[in-house]
Amino acid sequence: MNLGIKLGSAVAAVGLVVAALAGCASSSGSGGAGSSSSSGSSSGGGSGGASGGTITLGMVVPLTGSSAAIGPYMQNGAQLAVNEINAAGGVLGKQLKLDVQDGACDAKSAATAANKLVSDKVTVSVGGYCSGATLPTLPIFNGAGIPMIIPAANSDDLVNQKLPLVFLINGTGTQQAQAALKFMTKEGAKKVALMDDNTSYSTNITKNVAGLMAKAPDGPQQAIHESVTAGESDYSANVNAVMKANPDFVYWTGYYQEGGLIIKQLRQAGYTGKIMVADGSVDQKLIQIAGQNNAQGVFATMTQTPQTIPNGQAWIDKYKKAFHADPGPYSTQAYDAVRVAAEAMKNANSTDGKAIADALMKIDGFQLFSGPLKFTPEHTLSSGGFLILVVKGDAFDVQDQLQG
Amino acid sequence: MTQLIWNGIFIGAFYALVALGYSMVYGIIKLLNFAHGDIYMLGAFGGFAMLTAFGGSVAGGSIVALLIVLVLSMLGTGMFGVVLERVAYRPVRTAPRLNALITAVGASFTIEYGTSLVAGPNPEVYPVQLSGSALHVLDAHINIQQIVLVGIAVALMIAMNLWVLRTRSGRAMRAISQDPKACLYMGVNVDGVISWAFFIGSALAGAAGVMAGAYFGTVNFLMGFIIGLKAFTAAVIGGIGNIPGAVLGGILLGLLESFGTAWLGGQWRDVFTFVVLILLLTVRPTGLLGERVTERV
Repeated sequence: MNLGIKLGSAVAAVGLVVAALAGCASSSGSGGAGSSSSSGSSSGGGSGGASGGTITLGMVVPLTGSSAAIGPYMQNGAQLAVNEINAAGGVLGKQLKLDVQDGACDAKSAATAANKLVSDKVTVSVGGYCSGATLPTLPIFNGAGIPMIIPAANSDDLVNQKLPLVFLINGTGTQQAQAALKFMTKEGAKKVALMDDNTSYSTNITKNVAGLMAKAPDGPQQAIHESVTAGESDYSANVNAVMKANPDFVYWTGYYQEGGLIIKQLRQAGYTGKIMVADGSVDQKLIQIAGQNNAQGVFATMTQTPQTIPNGQAWIDKYKKAFHADPGPYSTQAYDAVRVAAEAMKNANSTDGKAIADALMKIDGFQLFSGPLKFTPEHTLSSGGFLILVVKGDAFDVQDQLQG
Repeated sequence: MTQLIWNGIFIGAFYALVALGYSMVYGIIKLLNFAHGDIYMLGAFGGFAMLTAFGGSVAGGSIVALLIVLVLSMLGTGMFGVVLERVAYRPVRTAPRLNALITAVGASFTIEYGTSLVAGPNPEVYPVQLSGSALHVLDAHINIQQIVLVGIAVALMIAMNLWVLRTRSGRAMRAISQDPKACLYMGVNVDGVISWAFFIGSALAGAAGVMAGAYFGTVNFLMGFIIGLKAFTAAVIGGIGNIPGAVLGGILLGLLESFGTAWLGGQWRDVFTFVVLILLLTVRPTGLLGERVTERV
C-alpha cells in the first residue's frame, strides 16, 4: 500500500516536472539568443524601435534545436538586405536595425522570443521558419500592431486566421501540395505514401495532397498516410506500416533530421521506389544522415534558393563577401522580407502597423527572387514558385522547374 | 508479425538499457534521475568525438573498433555519472525528495545546453556507421547489426544482474535499498556503493547512446530527452527499483509501440501505448514485477 502511494506521488511529481520543463526551456532558449545576436554586424537586441534614428526589424528564427542550421542562413540574408538599404540612405531617413531572437522551432520558445521583440518595440517582424513555432507568435505581433512578413513558414494555418497584419512571402502549403502532385503525376506514381511529423507545416501539406488526390481519381492515389513523432531515432514501426501498403512513391513533408533517418530506414527495409521530401527537408544534412547512397535520386519540392535561381551567382558572391559563408535555404526569402518591409514603409511614409499593412497590399510588381510581388486578398503570393530538386552526389540539383 | 515483434524488441532493448539506470538509482536512493537520458546523449557524443578523432584508423567500421569505442564511452559516462552524483545529488540527499527531483531537472538542462554550447546545436552525423546485409527470417527484415546490438545489450544486462546478485558491492547495494541507515551502522560504505550504482547505470546508458549513434547514424544534444521519458516509463511499468522489471518494461514498451503503430497508425501510437500502460498500472499499481520481489534494488 505504502509503495503504491509513493509511486503515485512520484508520477505526480513527473507531471509537475514536465510542466516546469516547458517554462525553463523557453526562457533558456531566448536567453541564449540574446547574446548570439549577429555575426560581425551592427545588429543586436535592446531598445530602439522607430525612435532615435533607427527602425528595428524583429526576427524570430531557430538558432538552437532541431532546425538550428536554418537560422543563420535567414539572419544573414536579412542582414545583407539591411546593410544594403542602410548604405543607400535607410528608410524614411532612419537606419534599419535587425533584432534576432531564437525561436528554437518550438512553440513556447518562439512565443517568448516574440514577446521579447514586442518589448523591444520592433516596427515589423521579418522572421518565421517553423510554422508550428510561428503560429503562436501571430496573435502576439498582430495584437501589438506589428506587421509580420513571414519569409519561410508556409502552413495555410498562418493565413487562415485572416489576421490583418500577417503576410506570407513563401509559397503556401496548398501551392506546395499542387506542385508535389503535379510532379508525382509526371513521374507516373500510382500508390503514394504520405508521411508527416504531426506539425502544422507538415500535416498541412499531406492533407492538401490527400485532398487533391481524392479529387482526381485517375491520378496518383493515397496508399497510406503515416505520422511519426519528431525527435526519435527509430522509425522502423512507421516504415513497416508504409512498406505494408506497398507504395511506389513516398512523400515526406517534415524536417531534415527525421527525413534523413526515414529515408535510410526505408532503404534498409528494402524500399526501392521513389522518395520525395518537402522544403523543410532540403538541407545537406538530410543527405549525410540518410547516407549518400540512400539519398541518391530523392526528389524535393522547394522554393527558389540562391543556387537554383537563374543569375543568382552575383547575389551569392555578395553574400559570401559579407559573411564568409555560403547562403542556404531561405537566405533569399529573408533578404526579400526585409526589402518588402522597407518598400512598404517607404510607400506608407510611416512606421504605423496599419499603414504598413495597407502599403503591403498595394505593392504590385516589386521584384522578389520568386518573381514580381502582388499579395492575394489572403495575404499570400499569387504564385508559389515551387520547383523540383533532386539529390545528385552530395547536393541538391534542379530536376524540374515545373513551368507550364 | 515477426517484423513487428523484432522491431519492438530492438527498440525495447535501448529502452531497457536506459531504464536499468533509472530503476537502480531509484531503488537505492529513491531519486528520479532525470539527467539519465542526457547521459545516454553524452555517451553518443563521446563515441562521436572518439570516432571523429580516430576516424582514419577505424574507417572500416569494424565491430571491434566500435566495441573499443563503446567500452571507452561507457567508462567516460560512468565516471560522469559518479561526478554528477557527487556534485549535484549528494548535497541534497537528506533534503526533501522534491529538492532532489528539481536538482535532477536542473542537471538535465545543464547537460543538454552545455553539450549544445560545446558541440553545437546542429545534429551531427556519425563518422562510422554500422552497415550489414539483411537476413530474412519468417518474412521479417533483420539486419546483422541489429542482432549484434541486441546481443551486446543482453550481454550487458546479464553482466549487470550478475554483479548485483553475486558481488560484495552488489550485495551492499541491495542492503542499502532496504535500509541505508542500518547499513551505515553496520560499516557499509554507503557513499561508495551509491557511486558504484551511478557508475554502472550511467555506463549502460552511455553504451545505449553509442549503439544508437552507430546504428541510426545521427546524434543531437536533445536526443536524450524523449528516450529518457520512455525509459522512465519502462522502469515504472516493470516496477521501479526492480532490475529484471526494467528490462521487461523496456521490451514491453517497445512491443506496444510497434504494434500500436501497425494497428492504429503512427498518429495513435503513443495514445495506444499509454492507454495500455495506464490500464496495466490500474491493475498492478506497483508495475509488472514490483510486488513479487520484496527486495528492491
